Amino acid sequence: MPAKVALKRNPKKNPLGRVFSGNIGALAVGLKYFFDPNRITLLYPHEYIKLRQGYRGYIILIQEKCISCSSCARICPARAMKMLSVKVFDKRLKKEMVKKFPVINYNRCIFCGYCVDVCPTEALYHVPYHDLVYMNMQDMILSLEDFQKEPEDVTAKEGLPIKYIFDEKKGLVKVKYEEEKKEVVQPQQSQQQKENPQSKQVDKGGVS
Amino acid sequence: MASNISSGSVPHLPGMEVTELSKNTYEVYIGPAHPGSGHMRIIVEVDGDVMVRVDPDIGFVHRTMEKLAEGRDWIKNIPLFERMAILDACNITLPYVEAVERLLGTEPPDRARYLRTLLCEINRIASHLYGMGIFGVFLGHSTLYMWAFGDREVFIDLAEQMTGARLTHSYPVFGGVRRDIPDDFPENARKATKYMRNRLNEYAKIFLNNPNIRSRLENVGIMSKNLATELGIVGPNLRASGVRYDVRLNEPYEAYGDVEFEIPVFEEGDSLARAWARVEEIRQSLNIIEQAVDWLEKHPRENFMHEKFWKTAPKLYKDVFSGQIDYAGKYRVKLMPLFASLKVPPGKAFARVEAGRGEMVYYVESDGEDVPYRVRVVSPSFRNVIAFKYLMPGHRLMDLPAIYGSFDYFPPEWDR
Ligand code: SF4
Ligand code: SF4
Repeated sequence: MPAKVALKRNPKKNPLGRVFSGNIGALAVGLKYFFDPNRITLLYPHEYIKLRQGYRGYIILIQEKCISCSSCARICPARAMKMLSVKVFDKRLKKEMVKKFPVINYNRCIFCGYCVDVCPTEALYHVPYHDLVYMNMQDMILSLEDFQKEPEDVTAKEGLPIKYIFDEKKGLVKVKYEEEKKEVVQPQQSQQQKENPQSKQVDKGGVS
Repeated sequence: MASNISSGSVPHLPGMEVTELSKNTYEVYIGPAHPGSGHMRIIVEVDGDVMVRVDPDIGFVHRTMEKLAEGRDWIKNIPLFERMAILDACNITLPYVEAVERLLGTEPPDRARYLRTLLCEINRIASHLYGMGIFGVFLGHSTLYMWAFGDREVFIDLAEQMTGARLTHSYPVFGGVRRDIPDDFPENARKATKYMRNRLNEYAKIFLNNPNIRSRLENVGIMSKNLATELGIVGPNLRASGVRYDVRLNEPYEAYGDVEFEIPVFEEGDSLARAWARVEEIRQSLNIIEQAVDWLEKHPRENFMHEKFWKTAPKLYKDVFSGQIDYAGKYRVKLMPLFASLKVPPGKAFARVEAGRGEMVYYVESDGEDVPYRVRVVSPSFRNVIAFKYLMPGHRLMDLPAIYGSFDYFPPEWDR
């Protein structure tokens, strides 16, 4: 028998009366947290949450891997991703030709991650941060070049990385993000300009 | 606010209802921007301090979800319907996915069923905590507001680890789910459930058993069993009036037939019982989470998508899942490009689940195209809101937040 019904009643008032049962109980709990609070507030932007890989943040294109199949643009529920025709030099066929590549409009994107999941060659990936600022709406429509760069994680430059860990007593506890793990991120940023995904993998593999 | 008007001199516009106010009553508009909730409007007629007529303005924030769905590909409707109640995202979209699966003739495999159940329960807790927080701030108890929202963060964090997004998970897809749980998830989930169980006792102390709150809730807005069934109330509100109805009990879906839990039913039917019903439900959801996590840990990481899919999947899909590609996250299930141009066989399907606020119903009709012919959505808040009209008259105006909050009523879901 999977689920069963359990009849319940509102708890009765305590015979000791309102003052003892209710008020004292509430005050005791309040006092407990007055002396031993669990502060989980993030002092953003002095601190920022170091999100784990797998977070659906901003999306980056690896142009070399893209086979121009348009799946990402087709599945996009917000019509944020559009295919753009550009002239490229095809290395295999050794000639200049027009190919379609996706570009993204962050005004519309809802970060559902469908495009990343549907891409048959894994040419799109998420970076685990999402707090970027654009000066105007026009900047949020990325060009093909910008779409291939990992955007600068601005809060990471000055803020202190924080992570929340689970705790049986306090729920979430705010702790500092360990340094050695952070180094994995460093080479990523320094390699924004490198376009060859092959070298990217090798470099990262070396660090981690 | 309007004073007495004589109906003869009032210009009558189409679609406008003109009601004459009796002497000495005032009309008060609650909303459109209520400090405690989303956009809604309730038109209340008060005589002194006592409400004599309460009229929830259904359609005030209407967003044509059903019509929009008719112009979108099947899979694109999942993120759309999610926006009805983003804090309950998995529960809200699951019946749509189930209905389309029925049309497609696919069944989710076991692991996917458990993963969906797990996320549904995480969502249910987060949604109840959200509702309790709003309830607290309605009654001027800002401590509970902070606590509930802080504790909700625990479960949102769990959901984020699982799906990659805090609120709009878009987690279930036709035939399965989009990700598997990360390696450290079971441990974190167990810590979170243990924490929350203790925490609920403190909630009772500081809020529900607090004499100030109790006197505002007890015997306020009593909904009898008869009235509740007559109005078609659903969810914890129905069960707080003593009706034994829960979709998880009457028509188990996903993994609910295999996990053990209780359905708390309260007899009193007042605001306090509705609040207690939610606390007890959170307790049961914690049990379900623990059972689901145990099950997921014991079973191998396979069968989270329909088996046909995994057999025909190219090597890259498997590499992504097992974390071989280092810039992509681990345990991600790739979607077939087929999903983008999915055509669903003609037919009609119906599915329902028990969402955080009550029964969520989808009726989906397909005529074989790549967009649905019709999607009918019946959301729990839509069915609950009518209770305001019958419960509130006779109470004082300050009881309005006590009743409103106890229904855990969510405007975006009401007007979808
Ligand atoms: S994340 Fe979703 S909304 Fe954004 S571009 Fe990709 S598919 Fe479109
Ligand atoms: S789905 Fe991937 S390969 Fe296809 S066009 Fe988009 S980025 Fe390129």
